[in-house]
Order: sequence, then C-alpha cells, then structure tokens
Amino acid sequence: MIANFIFRVLLDFGLAFVVGFCWGILFGSPKRILWIAGLLGAAGHSLRFVLQQTGTELLAATMISSVTIGLIGIYCAHKVHHPPVVFTMPAFITMIPGLYAYRTMLGCIKLTDPAIIRKTPDIMTQIGHNLMLTLSLLAILAIGISIAALLFRSQSVKDINFGKRQKKN
Amino acid sequence: MTDTLSSSTNEYVHATEFADLALDIATTMLASGAHCGRIIRNLDRLAKRWELSVQMQLTFIGVVMTVTSEHDLFHTVTRYRSTPPHSVHLELLTEFSRLTWKATDGDLNFQQVQEETERIKRIKHYNSWSVALAVGLSCACLCLLAGGSFIDGMVACVGAFIGSIVRVFILHQKFNPMIAFVIASFVTTMVSGANMVFHWGTAPETALATAVLYLVPGVPLINSLIDLIEGHLSSAWNRALFGASILLCMAVGMTLSIALLGINNF
Repeated sequence: MIANFIFRVLLDFGLAFVVGFCWGILFGSPKRILWIAGLLGAAGHSLRFVLQQTGTELLAATMISSVTIGLIGIYCAHKVHHPPVVFTMPAFITMIPGLYAYRTMLGCIKLTDPAIIRKTPDIMTQIGHNLMLTLSLLAILAIGISIAALLFRSQSVKDINFGKRQKKN
Repeated sequence: MTDTLSSSTNEYVHATEFADLALDIATTMLASGAHCGRIIRNLDRLAKRWELSVQMQLTFIGVVMTVTSEHDLFHTVTRYRSTPPHSVHLELLTEFSRLTWKATDGDLNFQQVQEETERIKRIKHYNSWSVALAVGLSCACLCLLAGGSFIDGMVACVGAFIGSIVRVFILHQKFNPMIAFVIASFVTTMVSGANMVFHWGTAPETALATAVLYLVPGVPLINSLIDLIEGHLSSAWNRALFGASILLCMAVGMTLSIALLGINNF
C-alpha cells in the first residue's frame, strides 16, 4: 500500500520532470538551467499530487505548491545567477489546467447543438464549473510566479536575502 | 572605488543615444516574454549608470520612452518604437538582466553595452526539430499525468510533434501567425481525435485535451496577470487579448476537426 503510493509519487515526479524540462526548451530557457526547471516542475506537481491524495482540495493544493515553488525559485535564482522567471515559467506549466480548459471549450461547442442540450440539461453548469476552475488555476499560477513582487518589498529578486545580511561590496 | 570605475561613471552619454539603446532592449525583451516590471527595473538600473532618468509606457505592441538627464532638464528626448514579432525566448531575459547589472557595476562602457545588446539580439532559439521533439515528449507526459494510458500518451506525442512541425512550416511561409495556430491545432486534433474514434487507448479524452497544450500562450497569459498585479494595466489588457485570441484560434482549429470527425464521438 505504502510502496504503491511512493511509486505513484515517484512516477508523478518523473513525468513532471520531463514536462518542465521540455517546456524549458519550447520557451528557450538557457541549456544550463533546463534541469532546474524540470526539478522545480516535478517538485511542484508531486507536492500537489501528495496533497490531493491526502484530501486537500484541488485549488488549495495548487496554491500551496505554487507558492512553495515560487519561494524555492527565488532561492535557486541566487544559486545559479539567473532571474527566477526563466525557470519558474516552464516549471509552472506542469500544473496548467489543460483538461479543464478543453472541457470548457468542448462544452461551448456542444452548446450549439439543440439535441445535445436536451440530452444533458446541466451543460451550462458543467461549462461554468470548468471555466471557473481554469481561470482560478491560471490566477493561482500567476500568484506563484510573482510571489517575489507580492511578499517582498525589494524591487529586484537579487536584493531578497531571506533575513541574511547583505554582503558588503 | 578604482580609477577605471570612477572614470567610466563620468562617461557622457547623450539622451538620444541612450533612448535608442534602451528602446532596442525594451522592445526585444517585450517580444521575448518579459513582464513590464522586469523591463522597467532593468532600464532604470541602466539609466542611473549614466545619470539619466527614464520614464516609459509599455504596451504589448510598442514602447514610448522619455529619457531626461538628471542634471539638465532641457536635455531630454521622447521616442516610440514598435516591437518585433513576439516569440518567447527566456534566455534573452537572463542575458539582459546580467548585462544591466554588469553595466551598473561599471564593468562596461556605453559602446560595450551596445555591442553586447547586438550580440544578445542574435542569440538563436533551439532549432525547430528539437523543439518539436520536446513538445511531443512533454505532451505525452502531460497526457500520462492527466490519467491517460500509454497508448494515449503515444497518440498525444505524435499529434503534438506533427502539429509543432506544421506550425513552424506555416510561420516560415509568412502567413498570418493566427492561421498557423488554427492549422496546427486542427492537425493535432485530427491525430488525437482518431484515437477517440477508433478507441485505441483507454482514456482518449486526455490525449485530445493535452496534445494541443503546446499551443497554449502560457507566457502572455501569466505575464498578463503579473502586469495586472503590478499595475501595468494597458499592457495587461493587451497581453490578455493576445492570449485570448490565440486560445480562440486553437478552439477554432479543434472545433473544425471535431466537427469533421463527428461531435457525437466526443
């Protein structure tokens, strides 16, 4: 049971790693930090997976993991000397609400056919539900990426030092 | 403070020269997917280096910029430049960020900054075959993550790969970029819709939904929300509109192919 759960988490981690890595290539991130994009994406997605398996709601789980990834991203930016957005952007794509967006669109197409509306009377509710999930998930991802601007007063990520004293030049 | 640093800080740069350089940097960054806050921070740093102050209005399609000397109020210039075609390229953001920090530290003089900018503008994106391969792999993995079986993943991979190649091909033929999105999503959905019609995989819906995800304008949409949070409203609306029109094009392409395959199969 436990072994099975750990296997599923690892599988999730591995798949999300490939997604983050490959999306880095699509967005033209520098070669040296593609693996960081992969690792961050994998960490975020598997954290969300674990949270969802332990009974957290989809939106809350996404919020927690996206904020976590945003904060780790700031730390990584100091380590590798790249702006965080270069690798957090592909990392966040792993959590993009593709399935909900697709269902919204398919619902809208079905809305043009009277026969289908008669067959499924709650089609509007389904479309509204999927649309709201898509929009809220997108907004949550944006909050995660811009967490530096929201939580810290510093203008530049370079000046955020998590309570450590700034080096004197 | 060393001698070289203080001497280079005193370098005189005319506002017009600086405005040209800064517009070059700002438009390139906008086109490669930077949010407004990042561009403004970078250029502020750069302007302070030569004792200039810079004010700008960034929209998605162009930049208006006023550069004024901090010492002479009449030493000022206002320029506008529209952006080159948009294509996301995050490596440029790193390079410009490093360039402006280096310039602020006094390591580069004005001419070196100009040369560096030219070099950065010429940095190539990954070639389209490796992008297509990456897109195929990641769409397959997204499909598996969404609960598809191995066969669904394979279908999503093939669909995304072919669609990506088709999109690059159409863009090279200098058609309207929106048409490229319509046709790419049409081709991808035809491949993954075949899975739905012939019941190859166990969860064909996931392949359909995830195979077109490589077209989703993630960077403009997320940047739009970041701009909204940081208060750059005009840019936020422009980006949202751009993202929404791409989404619409995707939906049109998918609708065409779904209608062709028969809506009742879905």
